[in-house]
Amino acid sequence: MLATNLKIAKVHLTSKIKQSIVAVLGVTFGISMYVFMNSFMTGVNDIQTELAFTSISHIHIYNDGPPDNTNLVKKVYKGNVAINIRNARVIQYTEGIKNTGEILALVRKQPEVIGITPQVNINVFFRNGSNKINGTLSGVDVDNENRIFNIASYMTSGSWNGLQYRHDGVILGLDLAHQLSLNINDNLNLLTPDGVSKNYKIIGIFQTNVKNVDKSKAYINISSARQLMDKNQDYVTDLQVNVRDFEITEPVVARIAPVIPYKVESWQTSNQQLEAGSKLRNIIAQAVSLTILLVAGFGIYNIMNMTINEKIREIAILKAMGFSGRDVTQIFLAQAIVIGVIGGLIGMVLGFVIADVVNHIPFKLGGLNYLPMAYRVKDYLLAFIFGLITTLVAGYLPARKASKIDPVDIIRG
Amino acid sequence: MNNDIALKADHIVKYFYEPQQFQVLKEVSIEVKKGEFVSLTGKSGSGKSTLLYILSTMDTSYEGSLSINGGILTGKSQNELAAFRNEHIGFVFQFHYLLTDFSVIDNVMLPALKLNKKSKAEIEEKAYQNLKMLGLEDQALKLASKLSGGQQQRVAIARALINDPSVIMGDEPTGNLDSKNTDIVFDIFRELTLTRHQTIITVTHDDDFAGKSDRIIQMSDGLII
Ligand SMILES: Nc1ncnc2c1ncn2[C@@H]1O[C@H](COP(=O)(O)OP(=O)(O)OP(=O)(O)O)[C@@H](O)[C@H]1O
Ligand SMILES: [Mg+2]
Repeated sequence: MLATNLKIAKVHLTSKIKQSIVAVLGVTFGISMYVFMNSFMTGVNDIQTELAFTSISHIHIYNDGPPDNTNLVKKVYKGNVAINIRNARVIQYTEGIKNTGEILALVRKQPEVIGITPQVNINVFFRNGSNKINGTLSGVDVDNENRIFNIASYMTSGSWNGLQYRHDGVILGLDLAHQLSLNINDNLNLLTPDGVSKNYKIIGIFQTNVKNVDKSKAYINISSARQLMDKNQDYVTDLQVNVRDFEITEPVVARIAPVIPYKVESWQTSNQQLEAGSKLRNIIAQAVSLTILLVAGFGIYNIMNMTINEKIREIAILKAMGFSGRDVTQIFLAQAIVIGVIGGLIGMVLGFVIADVVNHIPFKLGGLNYLPMAYRVKDYLLAFIFGLITTLVAGYLPARKASKIDPVDIIRG
Repeated sequence: MNNDIALKADHIVKYFYEPQQFQVLKEVSIEVKKGEFVSLTGKSGSGKSTLLYILSTMDTSYEGSLSINGGILTGKSQNELAAFRNEHIGFVFQFHYLLTDFSVIDNVMLPALKLNKKSKAEIEEKAYQNLKMLGLEDQALKLASKLSGGQQQRVAIARALINDPSVIMGDEPTGNLDSKNTDIVFDIFRELTLTRHQTIITVTHDDDFAGKSDRIIQMSDGLII
């Protein structure tokens, strides 16, 4: 029975070939736009994430400083008591992270963790003659730092690994070097908050394209940093942790935060604007592409309605000869499905072609050469499924109307 | 119930409400025996087509009752009636009503493909036989819309016969045919009533045709006289 209905559907589609092509083109357009928009947005998000993770890690462990001690008296003397405090003074609290070894071991044991690196971060003045710029000096574990931030790939001159052996070596951001009018192999003077001043030799320059980093950051070996701060060989201010899937940081944070007496913060919490940006872009992409699909669906609905009005006599004859309402629904739904599947397949190919063309449009900004694009099977499958659902709904409504046609009304004339 | 009765209509009353209320059929009762060849005549507008649509189960908004081959059909659902028509009733409309985008052979085969009781090859074979009987075998592969009016009417007859229905109804099935082809159709109908005991009910304005049939039922203003 189905075979007969399909045969009728085929005759309908082929006898009005121009109309069928228009309907197919509608779906093709909708689906290709869906694929393209989502590929583009994903591409943009991926680039954004990649840039962001050159300067931040997935999980950041650091000493948050002392708790709020602005009203110590209230903590000790509750209620209304008159007290007299003389010679009040803020005592120094411990900075940095203690028992680094234990924490490192604990974090490394987490199955999701793929890397961890200790840092000694210091706010310093970079000086060259009378030129004085405020910035961050990062004392790093050369290998591990590179494993997490991939900094070696951003070197414009010199080599990252040099830091391993040159304890008097410093690597600094390109913009910082320009502002200080310094180049590789020049000397750079640093001044710490404690008033210590020391000279380093520039052994490398990097450019991450994140301006804030490039104009204010410099790296030295972590032991040199400890020396500079006059601290022991265990001293660390920050631990930077990377996990396998950067989207999924919460389980690790939830597991280690209670047992580590320091602040454990995921990148999502510390950089909510990044997440918000990527979520908003996704919403825009979805909204635009679903709107396009909706318009295409409306086109199919119109064409199917037209077909049914033209075929109303034919439907009446079929019913008079004994075809049921279900047969009629099947006949017209089959047409919608064929339109949806063909339009969907061509749409996926066209979407890929458009994405590829746009991916070759030059775009030289923020370290990019071309407009970014992602090629994910998921986008293509979703586009196809959404397209099919749209055509099914758009085809079902007219098909149901057709199935309810009363044959006598038409045949009587 | 009498086993010889093919069709029985009891006190059929039919109104049209548009443009104003108008009683088309006024308590029409008919009984047709199996294998009987009945002609329905009467002047234009007397209600012949209207009655035939009710007898063929296509029109369900009437009062009274209808039974075919002993089973009551009044009150059945549209889908049940469609399945019943498919198997038991062959209908030739007053105007030809072929599916114009399909070939002649496809048109003839469709009711049998819907019934789905024989293989496609058997159905095709039978369809060719029917076309041949009506002198249309060389038109089989043409599009239905490319045929002349008389040819289309004969295709519609071939289609009505494809499932060997127990009752064949025609609304002026020979209205567009020359006398030679009218005779051919008459002979086919006569043959079917004799050899296969199929029942024929046709509306006709052709007194010759009516005169040769078994019985003439004459209508006037919604009544049988
Ligand atoms: N859909 C309709 N709405 C209202 N009145 C109708 C409708 N169809 C038919 N009629 C009226 O019902 C009456 C009977 O019509 P019917 O078609 O049954 O006549 P008929 O005997 O078949 O005539 P003819 O020989 O011309 O085919 C006519 O007066 C006609 O005007
Ligand atoms: Mg009539």
